Amino acid sequence: MKPLAPFILSLLFLTSQTVLSFKREEFRNCHQTPFCKRARSRYPGACTLTPHSISISNGDLTATLLSKTDEQIRPLILSLSVYQDGILRLKIDEDYNHPDPPAPKRRFQVPDVVLPEFESNKLWLQRLSTETVDGESSPSTVVYLSDGYDAVLRHDPFEIYIRDKKSGNQKLISLNSHQLFDFEQLRVKQEKQDSDNNEDSGSDDNWEERFRSHTDTRPYGPQSISFDVSFYNAEFVSGIPEHATSLALKPTRGPGVEKDSEPYRLFNLDVFEYLNESPFGLYGSIPLMISHGKEGRSAGFFWLNAAEMQIDVLGDGWDAEYGIELVKQKSIDTFWMSEAGIVDAFFFVGPGPKDVVKQYTSVTGRPSMPQLFSIAYHQCRWNYRDEEDVENVDAKFDEHDIPYDVLWLDIEHTDGKRYFTWDPVLFPNPEEMQKKLAAKGRHMVTIVDPHIKRDDSFRVHKEATEKGYYVRDASGKDFDGWCWPGSSSYLDMVNPEIRSWWGDKFSYENYVGSTPSLYIWNDMNEPSVFNGPEVSMPRDALHHGDIEHRELHNAYGYYFHMATSNGLLKRGVGNDRPFVLSRAFFPGSQRYGSVWTGDNTADWDHLRVSVPMILTLGLSGISFSGADVGGFFGNPEPELLVRWYQLGAFYPFFRAHAHQDTKRREPWLFGEKNTRLIREAIHVRYMLLPYFYTLFREANTTGIPVMRPLWMEFPSDEITFSNDEAFMVGSSLLVQGIYTERAKYASVYLPGKELWYDIRTGAAYKGGKTHKLEAKEESVPAFQRAGTIIPRKDRLRRSSTQMVNDPYTLVIALNSSQAAEGELYIDDGKSYEFLQGAYIHRRFVFANGKLTSINLAPSSSSKSQFSSKSILERIILLGYSPGPKNALIEPANQKTEVELGPLMLQGGRGSSVVTIRKPAVQVSDDWTIKIL
Amino acid sequence: MDLSRAKQEKEKKIQNLSFSKINKQHINYIRITKIMKVNILFLLFSLLITNFSLISSTKSSFISLLGVAPQDENYFKTETIKCRNGSKKFTRAQLNDDFCDCPDGTDEPGTSACPHGKFYCVNVGHLPVSLHSSKVNDGICDCCDGSDEYDGEVKCPNTCWEAGKVTRDKLKKKIDIYKEGVTIRKKEVEQAKQAIVKDKEELSKLKNNEKSLKGLVKNLKARKEQIKAEEKERLVKEKEEMMKMAADDKSDDEHKESSSSTTLDSENNGLSDEPSVDQQQKDEYENTEGLPTDGSESTEGLLREELGRLVASRWTGEKTEHQVEEVSPSKDNHEGNNEIPEGTDDKDHDNNDDANRVRKDYEDSTTRLSDIQERIASLTEKLKHDFGMEKEFYFYYDQCFETKQDKYVYKVCPFKDASQEEGYQITQLGQWEKFENSYGTMLFSNGDGCWNGPDRSVKVKLRCGLKTELTDVKEPSRCEYVALMSTPIHCLEGKLEELERKLESMYNEQLQGGHDEL
Repeated sequence: MKPLAPFILSLLFLTSQTVLSFKREEFRNCHQTPFCKRARSRYPGACTLTPHSISISNGDLTATLLSKTDEQIRPLILSLSVYQDGILRLKIDEDYNHPDPPAPKRRFQVPDVVLPEFESNKLWLQRLSTETVDGESSPSTVVYLSDGYDAVLRHDPFEIYIRDKKSGNQKLISLNSHQLFDFEQLRVKQEKQDSDNNEDSGSDDNWEERFRSHTDTRPYGPQSISFDVSFYNAEFVSGIPEHATSLALKPTRGPGVEKDSEPYRLFNLDVFEYLNESPFGLYGSIPLMISHGKEGRSAGFFWLNAAEMQIDVLGDGWDAEYGIELVKQKSIDTFWMSEAGIVDAFFFVGPGPKDVVKQYTSVTGRPSMPQLFSIAYHQCRWNYRDEEDVENVDAKFDEHDIPYDVLWLDIEHTDGKRYFTWDPVLFPNPEEMQKKLAAKGRHMVTIVDPHIKRDDSFRVHKEATEKGYYVRDASGKDFDGWCWPGSSSYLDMVNPEIRSWWGDKFSYENYVGSTPSLYIWNDMNEPSVFNGPEVSMPRDALHHGDIEHRELHNAYGYYFHMATSNGLLKRGVGNDRPFVLSRAFFPGSQRYGSVWTGDNTADWDHLRVSVPMILTLGLSGISFSGADVGGFFGNPEPELLVRWYQLGAFYPFFRAHAHQDTKRREPWLFGEKNTRLIREAIHVRYMLLPYFYTLFREANTTGIPVMRPLWMEFPSDEITFSNDEAFMVGSSLLVQGIYTERAKYASVYLPGKELWYDIRTGAAYKGGKTHKLEAKEESVPAFQRAGTIIPRKDRLRRSSTQMVNDPYTLVIALNSSQAAEGELYIDDGKSYEFLQGAYIHRRFVFANGKLTSINLAPSSSSKSQFSSKSILERIILLGYSPGPKNALIEPANQKTEVELGPLMLQGGRGSSVVTIRKPAVQVSDDWTIKIL
Repeated sequence: MDLSRAKQEKEKKIQNLSFSKINKQHINYIRITKIMKVNILFLLFSLLITNFSLISSTKSSFISLLGVAPQDENYFKTETIKCRNGSKKFTRAQLNDDFCDCPDGTDEPGTSACPHGKFYCVNVGHLPVSLHSSKVNDGICDCCDGSDEYDGEVKCPNTCWEAGKVTRDKLKKKIDIYKEGVTIRKKEVEQAKQAIVKDKEELSKLKNNEKSLKGLVKNLKARKEQIKAEEKERLVKEKEEMMKMAADDKSDDEHKESSSSTTLDSENNGLSDEPSVDQQQKDEYENTEGLPTDGSESTEGLLREELGRLVASRWTGEKTEHQVEEVSPSKDNHEGNNEIPEGTDDKDHDNNDDANRVRKDYEDSTTRLSDIQERIASLTEKLKHDFGMEKEFYFYYDQCFETKQDKYVYKVCPFKDASQEEGYQITQLGQWEKFENSYGTMLFSNGDGCWNGPDRSVKVKLRCGLKTELTDVKEPSRCEYVALMSTPIHCLEGKLEELERKLESMYNEQLQGGHDEL
């Protein structure tokens, strides 16, 4: 029987090959999703609603939307509000005062996303004006929005749009221009009418839906909402994460698009081995779309709604077949469909892409300020097996002189997947383990997921059961699903009381074995339910206040993230910035931590798609994001791994992670050369930490992401519009990934008129040109833009903690007028003292051969101050002709040498760039350095 | 603080440091003198003098030589110094001035300024260490003498004496084990040599036996054939005589028949039933391929718990009832192939005694021959293996080693295979492949396949120990096991000498540092 063994092995291999694939059939497509199918079959002009009783109430414009035909169950109430910075908010909901038939319940409005501060920035409308726009028969109501913009409510046909007065009242963005608006109203199923169904209640479809082995009951009938949104004079639209697709969204309907093409889906799902280039919905959802056009014009549209959403980007000429030309102005039309909820939509006027992001994050919140350690390098694996493994990995980093800041423990560290516990055999001394890491300035992150093991001896489960804190199934029992621990229940995080209770679980007393250097990872919070429909929770499950799961599905992970983050905040007595990584996200997630792009795969396509995915997240407010370096599934070839490190070093969130079935891939396991290459890639990130931290602070104050599309920095350069292989880190660095094996050349487009300097060699390249560069194994192409100053810390340390007092290097890249500027932000990297002004914020300006350091921080009260011991050890000038021998430092009135030195110490390149040696000025002081 | 002042203060600090070091040494001497014999005292006293003079003469250059290994000090004696990689030159004033001039770190052995630099700590009382520059003044005590932290941010106590003692004691213990191990090893090597000689002798004896037996068998066979032929001839003759009048061509036919049956026989001895096995496997394979496996799994109709397990298994690879059970391949059984040669198929029995005797002799000899051949084959197979430089692993051939860890029993049979047993379930971790790492590691590969991973393999790392035992098995990477095995075979004399030299050098350092362990 001997030959049978290899035969069985090969059979197993075949089996495992087929296991490794995306399970398309497990997920619903639009055709299998009744509301999507219905909405897509609507035709332009179908909407018969018109506004009535238009008036001002509570500072808002309000109106009643009534149908011209009789099919309406009850009226709809519309309100338009205007906020600072040209933000228009539109709400449409049922008229809950309507007596017959009354609404059986209130539709779900997503709480805790819109900032209270934003609400308080409402401009109270004083008056409405009515005008008849040229060439139209029906009147419109016009509201002042902001300087140069009006919000217009056209009565018949019903439409809402913003017009730009400066461009001759051209439309900027509109809703319902194609009259696709539809609002399915809540109903109550009539008891057994059996045969004489009236047309309205229709088939059983409306009250029940089957998908695979799951049945979804709909006690209120269909309740979807759909409408069209148009972006005028736009060249492309972007946003609506999370999809593994290009940055500029491709059309999903219209000429040239395949008939069975799917809309972009927003439905938080745990997708096993997701595909590259697919409109399929992944782990998180942000219904924000940003348009961009020539002359750098951007606008944005955001629909705050947590139900499943499907969005079509309609290709040019999509409406030709209907034979009606409803819109004359050039536009990109989109079609939005949601299963439930209300219309709560925000329009952002821009005008630039940064303005749109600022406006959006003024509604949903700016990204929180991360701790310094969390923007350094993270080492993760499913799983570091035991304490000895942790100790060995930690020691190896030191042995190989590779810095890292955080070691992560995945699910196997727990006692039987009971979160907040430790496997007693593998991790008998968790505190000691963390203390050992902390002694080297390193941190640890453990995983805490939202599924709770149904085990009566597990305290969390016992309490949650007793208190009734779990999500209930349609029959009212605690929902029982299957996840890592086996039979599990899910905490109902939409309830603030439950969130607060959950937060307390992170106290040192409750989370036994945790220490102050321990932070948290929230995975599986879509939520992932292995035996649920589409690997998630049934839509008819019930939350606090009888909210159906379908109404808030996309926000479930958000509330969980929020609860965890607030728990850590409480643990740190409000003065330790939480770090919580989440896989699921929703608008506002940026306030609670970072996210990553989930379970990607170790192949070149996934490396490439990580860039548009992270860029899209950044545009949508989530600045602190990254992809698993190396790819979660599969074994990367060393070359791919190295390229991934070289690119990942520029992700805002920089973490290597791997599936438990993969081979070990810590940086030193691929031979001396690859170890060196990975060390250098990680070291570049550590050198640039001062720059990154300054950018994180910028994101924290403005919402502008750390990692940006080229067109965010060069909004009117049309060549950048389709470029999502390269990106900007802040406004000073351009990075181009290398996405192919054994690449000989890399094609890099450098925008703008100024020069760009290779950050390793200092070689200068012209802007406004595509350069064909030799691909080097040492790095991916990266350039500093002329006219900028980048602060660095060049000394290699074992973690960011030891770099605190290290001296700075400034790299000044001069533009054509021999000038440059840049900023540096420093605080304690940990607490909230910076909110009281305890920080250093400098602007460096180089002009006329003189570098000046200017204070940008408000002269803070003496109570709260931050001081730094760091000095400036080196100033590098790119684009400065060699010659000068000395520089004069004022006010100290001291001279220091100017010489030729290397641009980067690592790699040991020759001396080639003008270097001011040891100016030794305090980084926190005012000073000037003049080249003599 | 301005630059020059900062520098002055730093120099002062470093001077203080060097003085306090001298003081400490001095105190040690005093302590030692109390317990010293007079003759050694004199020796140490002179050492002390030299030490003092050495330190005072290098005091001025102490700052600049911080972090430099003693053997490298001369490199930095000149006024202009080259970067070691030849990229640049720097002045003596730039040595350890906390600014990186040489990208390779030559000019900053004592600071953290260069990312590629090395800092040498003397660690008097223990072993000197060369640190990455990244660890200088980073607030963490890395050198046991604390010399890597001199900027005043942290105070590092000197722990070299205690640490050194612990290390030396450990080393001493290790050496003791090695000494004993080397002796055992020698014995084992000797025994292995004898065993090999014995086995080889046996083999050559067997081969001789085989040769003579073959001759005998051949003769007997010939004799048998002859008898058979004679018998046949006799019968034919009788027949002929009896059927004299009958047709003539009958004998021709018979002849033909017998020759064709011989051909068939020889085929039967060869591969006759193999194709059918192949066919059977192929069928099985195709059948199984046609079954709905995981990839096209039907999740309809599963119980909810089953569905949960099934979806979870995509990530974990754990089995559920709805997936193909992993079958551990049955161990191939070499026994059982020894078919007892069937008796000859002569049906026409001869009453002739001589013929019977010949046949019996023939049968006996054939059996003996096949026994001998089997033994030869197994000895040849055994001797084919690489048993190490001195054939020291010879006795491992027929041994297996086991260890129990959690619920598993790991079993390693050198030159054969390694497995993991859990109750009745046996998982092959690998088949013997070879030694690696100059006989320091045994490698077993091509074990049972892993879901979503490689075929299992195990590396057994050998350690010197007095008993041969499997001590530890780990799975650092999915399905790639690493086991530790202690054995006297790995107590190498060369390594012992190395350890002894190391200990000796530690004592020497000691002496230079003024410590004594008498």
